[in-house]
Amino acid sequence: MGLTGIGLVAAFGTMASAASGAAAAPPAASPSGTISEAGSSLLLPLMQKWATAYHQQFPGVTVNTAGGGSSEGISDAADGSRDVGASDAYLSSGDVLVHPGLLNIPLAVSAQSVIFDLPNLQGTNIKLSATVLAEMYSGQITMWNDPQIKALNGGVPLPAIGVVPLHRVEGSGDTFIFTSYLSTQDPAWNTAAGYGTLVNWPSIPAAQAVTGSSGMIAGCEKTVGCVGYNGVSYLSQEQAGGLGEAALQNGGGRYLIPSPATIQAELDKFIAITPPNETIAMIAGPGGYGYPIINYEYAIVKMVQPSAATAEQIRDFLQWLISSQAATSLVTSVGFQPLPSDVQQLSRAQIEEIR
Amino acid sequence: MATVVTAPAPVPPARPAPGDQRRRSGRRGPRYLAAVRGTPAIIQAMIAGIVILSLAWGGLGAWAVATHSSAATSLAYGNEPYSRDAQRMYLAVADADVTITTSFLAQAQPVPPGQPPSSSLAARQRLTADLASASQDLADLMSGGGSTQLTQAAAAFDADLAAYQGYVATAETEYAQDVIPAGDSEMEVASEEAHLGLLPEAKLIYNLQIAAVGTSRDQATSLPTIVIAIVIGLAALVMLVWAQRWMARRTHRVLNLGLVIATAALVISIGWLAVTFGVASSDLSTAIGQGANPAEALAQASIDVQQIRGDSILNVIARSGSPSLQTDSTAQAKNVGPGPGSLLGSASAAGNGSVTADLGPAITAAPAWYKANGQGYTLGSQHQYSAEMNSVTGTPVSSEYGQVTGSISGALDAAQQTFTSQADDASSAFGPLEAVVIIAALVMVVASAWGLARRLAEYR
Repeated sequence: MGLTGIGLVAAFGTMASAASGAAAAPPAASPSGTISEAGSSLLLPLMQKWATAYHQQFPGVTVNTAGGGSSEGISDAADGSRDVGASDAYLSSGDVLVHPGLLNIPLAVSAQSVIFDLPNLQGTNIKLSATVLAEMYSGQITMWNDPQIKALNGGVPLPAIGVVPLHRVEGSGDTFIFTSYLSTQDPAWNTAAGYGTLVNWPSIPAAQAVTGSSGMIAGCEKTVGCVGYNGVSYLSQEQAGGLGEAALQNGGGRYLIPSPATIQAELDKFIAITPPNETIAMIAGPGGYGYPIINYEYAIVKMVQPSAATAEQIRDFLQWLISSQAATSLVTSVGFQPLPSDVQQLSRAQIEEIR
Repeated sequence: MATVVTAPAPVPPARPAPGDQRRRSGRRGPRYLAAVRGTPAIIQAMIAGIVILSLAWGGLGAWAVATHSSAATSLAYGNEPYSRDAQRMYLAVADADVTITTSFLAQAQPVPPGQPPSSSLAARQRLTADLASASQDLADLMSGGGSTQLTQAAAAFDADLAAYQGYVATAETEYAQDVIPAGDSEMEVASEEAHLGLLPEAKLIYNLQIAAVGTSRDQATSLPTIVIAIVIGLAALVMLVWAQRWMARRTHRVLNLGLVIATAALVISIGWLAVTFGVASSDLSTAIGQGANPAEALAQASIDVQQIRGDSILNVIARSGSPSLQTDSTAQAKNVGPGPGSLLGSASAAGNGSVTADLGPAITAAPAWYKANGQGYTLGSQHQYSAEMNSVTGTPVSSEYGQVTGSISGALDAAQQTFTSQADDASSAFGPLEAVVIIAALVMVVASAWGLARRLAEYR
């Protein structure tokens, strides 16, 4: 981060009060400086919108965003090369023990959609369960007109097209939550591959590895019969590219697509048990009408910053992200949901720990 | 036995011999006596000098004895047992975390056909017992009071213990509802609480207690006060001997009963103190060398072993691909040993036969256990998470881990028994010495004053 303004601390002091309210008011004096961010490609579309809006509200501050994946976001924040890392996955215990000063602070609630490319079925939300998905990724289901898929989708004219499972090659929060869903519902998958930011994908001839969320979309668009996973923030881009979105089986046996209502319904199961450090997996909660793959989008930040001014600038930015009307209105535009008030309070408390 | 000759009648003062002139000039006697004119004045000065030195001997000697005796007692019955409480507290938390995490990991696995589902009842009972034990150890430890730092660490530990139990309860609920990832993440939070909060706090409390043991140990074995007391006692002895020789020359009495009694009391009390201190020092030296030192090394080893085990379990949950836990585990394993300079190595070489014998199985099993742990990490780095879990929680690794911990625990008991026995002997050795020194000093004052006063009366 480069700080170019004199009196930045005083200016942001005013801004902090404004940012903590429901609608952030402009600061008394214009702060200036640069905030660097990198990491989750799922969060990237929203982060770019936030960066633009923040700059519009506070022209002296520039937020530089970059993707790279959740693993890179965590490592960049840990080594201080970026002010803020972005991750779909919470910090692992290994990260926490090695970098006990790292915080994972939820900024929004995301969901992950399963996408496919089947001719003439773009507008159909094909029903898939975790077991069927696990078997597609394991090579046991190789055709889209497999009886198991047909059984879930009565009346849908499933084509005799081969299944091409796509997965991310780099350490990815998307992979973590997608494989968590498969592991939860399918014991065989849990034993064979399990879940993680990196997993041993079953070696099947049709499988393809892609890099990043954009790579997932591009790979699927050019491969008829593909099945892949991506954050809902890419949904409009995927639909524009002719890709379909699956309805996934939740813990109650219902098939749902990610929507504000289904994301909120799933989130409600986990709000009360979100711990103070906000580390929690929200996959396939019990029963209900919730969409089964949701997650917090985390900002990864060092608790101790190089200077008080830097710390204050980061605090103000993060507070603005979770609290201001300008920021939360952008959250829904990418299919995410704002943090519920209880979780907002936990995030605020963590942000206040940044010194 | 010498015959004491008492004077039936006052003897006139003898005319000063030529040599007395020299003594008065300070060439052979104490210089301050040069200013004292006449035998009565000299005797009065003797009384004052001997009384002062006797009181100094009694005061300083008794204080030195009380200090060393108190330190030995604190060591045997206070600080060392408290450090054991702190160590047990640490191990209870570590064991609780490993036990419940392992159990939940096993529950999260699919049940083979025909097998009953895994139950966490035994693990939960052990967790409850461990945490109750940790709470009791904390209460016992704090019953002895403590510094502000200790009180703060204890309060933080208490609060984190409650938080930890809350996370485990939430994880258990999630597992019970088959929401495995949420259960795993809650267990991760609980384990992080244990690793970043509870265990460091328990370690701090343990270190504070170990520091207190060190302070008591230094006080119990330090020389300065005893040496100063003995020097003053010897000065009093020199004064008494000189006084008796001077009296013999000046008054032609062979012995002065009062001075003889005072001298006897002083010799007896100095001798008693020197022998007692020697015996106590020897006992303490054995207690420390063959008891406290290996016990401290083994307590640290048992803490590190729990850390190694906790790291491997946490790595199964974390699935992060990060080598950080393995790096920490390798460093801890090097510290534990066996091998020269390691904790097991130093404890085994401490000269305590029981400790060395009890450590045998740990020294044999530890390398195999480390190797098995390394295989678990390798599987994790290859993203073979299920195989990693089976490796880490499977029978061979658990068995080797059990051998290491069981052996260290047995050796630790042996070291602590040695310490307790020897430190108890050291503490008991002081016995009535403090009273002996005080009484001896009072006898010296009364007897020397009486004996010299009788001579002084002859000049009135």
